[in-house]
Amino acid sequence: MSNIAGKAYAMNVITPLKWLTTLRTRLIFWGAGKLPSTTLGLVTLSLIHYARWVILRPKDFPHLGPEQPKEDLQYCYMLFFSNFNGSWDQYVDSFSSTIPTGLDSFWYKNIKYTNSIPMLPFHRYITWNQIWTDNYYNAYPMASTNDVKSAQKVRQNLIDFARSTANATPDDFQRQYNKLLLSLQHDLSQMGLNPVVSLSASAVDRRLGKERRGVS
Amino acid sequence: MTTAADDFLDLSDIQGIVVKAYSRFGFPVARYVLFRIDLPAHGRKFVVGITPMITTGVRWTDPASIPSAATNIAFTYKGLKHLDVLDASLHGFSDEFSMGMKARRDIVGDTGPNHPRHWDPVWHNESETGQHVHILVTIDGKGETEVEARYRQILALLVECPGVVQLSGQRGGGSDDLPYQPAAAIPPKPEEAGFPGGKEHFGYSDGISTTFFKGCGADPMEVIGEDKPVKGDPRTLEGWAPVAAGELIFGYPDEAFEYPEAPGPPLFSRNGTYLVYRKLHENTGSFESYLEAEGARFPGGKEALAAKFAGRWRNGAPLATFPTQESADRYIAELSALQLKVWAGQASPAEQARYQELALQLVALDYGDDKDGARCPFGAHTRRVNPRSALRFGNKKAFADDPGALSNRRRVLRRGLPYGRSETPARDDGDHGIVIMIVNADLSRQFEFVQQQWITFGNDFKLANDQDPLPGNHGTSKNCRAGGRMII
Repeated sequence: MSNIAGKAYAMNVITPLKWLTTLRTRLIFWGAGKLPSTTLGLVTLSLIHYARWVILRPKDFPHLGPEQPKEDLQYCYMLFFSNFNGSWDQYVDSFSSTIPTGLDSFWYKNIKYTNSIPMLPFHRYITWNQIWTDNYYNAYPMASTNDVKSAQKVRQNLIDFARSTANATPDDFQRQYNKLLLSLQHDLSQMGLNPVVSLSASAVDRRLGKERRGVS
Repeated sequence: MTTAADDFLDLSDIQGIVVKAYSRFGFPVARYVLFRIDLPAHGRKFVVGITPMITTGVRWTDPASIPSAATNIAFTYKGLKHLDVLDASLHGFSDEFSMGMKARRDIVGDTGPNHPRHWDPVWHNESETGQHVHILVTIDGKGETEVEARYRQILALLVECPGVVQLSGQRGGGSDDLPYQPAAAIPPKPEEAGFPGGKEHFGYSDGISTTFFKGCGADPMEVIGEDKPVKGDPRTLEGWAPVAAGELIFGYPDEAFEYPEAPGPPLFSRNGTYLVYRKLHENTGSFESYLEAEGARFPGGKEALAAKFAGRWRNGAPLATFPTQESADRYIAELSALQLKVWAGQASPAEQARYQELALQLVALDYGDDKDGARCPFGAHTRRVNPRSALRFGNKKAFADDPGALSNRRRVLRRGLPYGRSETPARDDGDHGIVIMIVNADLSRQFEFVQQQWITFGNDFKLANDQDPLPGNHGTSKNCRAGGRMII
């Protein structure tokens, strides 16, 4: 079990809210979807792969069969799901520093929501309601979302370049190549391992590594 | 909830090293002395004895009020334990502090050539019964004589406290066993008289910018470019606001309107803070030879390449404002000529006004007009460690009310001086570098974050794993060359 895979961290937070509050929250979600400028701050946070808010009604929770006890849920629930690069603290602090109003309007009157500032109660609220990740897989453990975006841009530009220079003269090729390098200069950095963001996580990694190698 | 009283700091109870960058007050020489406490009673007696010598943060209103030497003191977690501080208080310290920097080496990137086994011998042999560093005493002074006098005064306390032991084992001057770490500003070359800041061994003007915080007592004009950017023209007072004192000192509200987490009772920790002590060796030979070799192929030559590394020309001019060497040299020549006149008291009112205008240009920038990093690269040292508004990546509507939203809570105070002399700058192996002390109220959110995410990593700047070209840990290859990478 780990919330961390490579450079990515998975966060699930489920918070209860009252029926009436869901109506307002749905309206806020709808407005945010219609007005992308309201989520500009969120989009600028390049450490986030994506963030998604979903409202679940009691009947939306799966009931897999008669052997599963029925639950008597009193509230609706808001599921927040996000993947990001960096540490838990970096992520939560970035959110509350950059879009405090946005967070407060999304969570509004969810039960015991503390507001995103001050930060310590907000940390406690998220920690209390976070559901730890059981299985988490990352196809590109050494890549952050910025790295993936850069790689996609480099690939597409190279394909276009190869096409457009197929019949270029050497001078023209050189000119276009220099232009290509200039346009890609922010996308050519070197990928590597994630820094150690948690000594506990790195200790687990070392232990698992030893176990795999058969070292006691 | 904060009150107006929270904006007034009890400067008489805050150490001077927190509030003042001593080099700005004509203190070019320092000694950093380490002690171990064997007997708690003697440790406490030593602390009582040194207390009258401790320099406070009270503002020096005129030159006559500036002492000839300043003394400050810091304790490690184990040091406090050996002073018999109550467990209830000790438990209130953060893990980062109680573990110590050695144990946090994987977090802060002290691996490979930076591994603690390469640190000065005084940091070796640490075990529960062996040598431990418990106390750091810093002495800053106007000259060697003043520092020596204060040093003797402090050592005299040990006669009465044999249970406190001065630790030798600091490296310098060809010895591995110095009783203290000497440090001193590098005297400017004649042609560099009046240049801003002091020099460090790579030849950069350093210490130009410092964090301005609420209640620090400095000239309010110094907030420009030295603090958190707000809505407004970054060249004026409207573009900046002081950072909350609680980011740097316990007992005051921070940027999130909270009091920083600190050990109780409040009287124990209020007006205190965390200080990080690091001694960074500088590989002057490798640096210069790299600049020579690569500068020959780089447009603008080695000086332009050196400027791209730091985000400032070696003469101190910021690259984002002065993109060519010619403009930087012209600017610094005018600024330093006026600086000399101001120091000599010979500047006319018009010259003084012009001097103020030019001095502001050293720091009054927010990268808003260099969003693509065409002038100052995203990965340049000064843009990394103090990104100002740069993390908006030119998107001025993002975090519009708080352009420094992603950097305001990472601010720290930098203190310290260069050590050693690079008399043979063509070599790496002399004793020369920088002693840097970093002051902050949250080691994890501030020092460790900057050290890890901004110095030894690059994702926040969209630079993957690229590191800071200067203090980054670039490792060494088999031929002893560093293996860093930077896109300029």
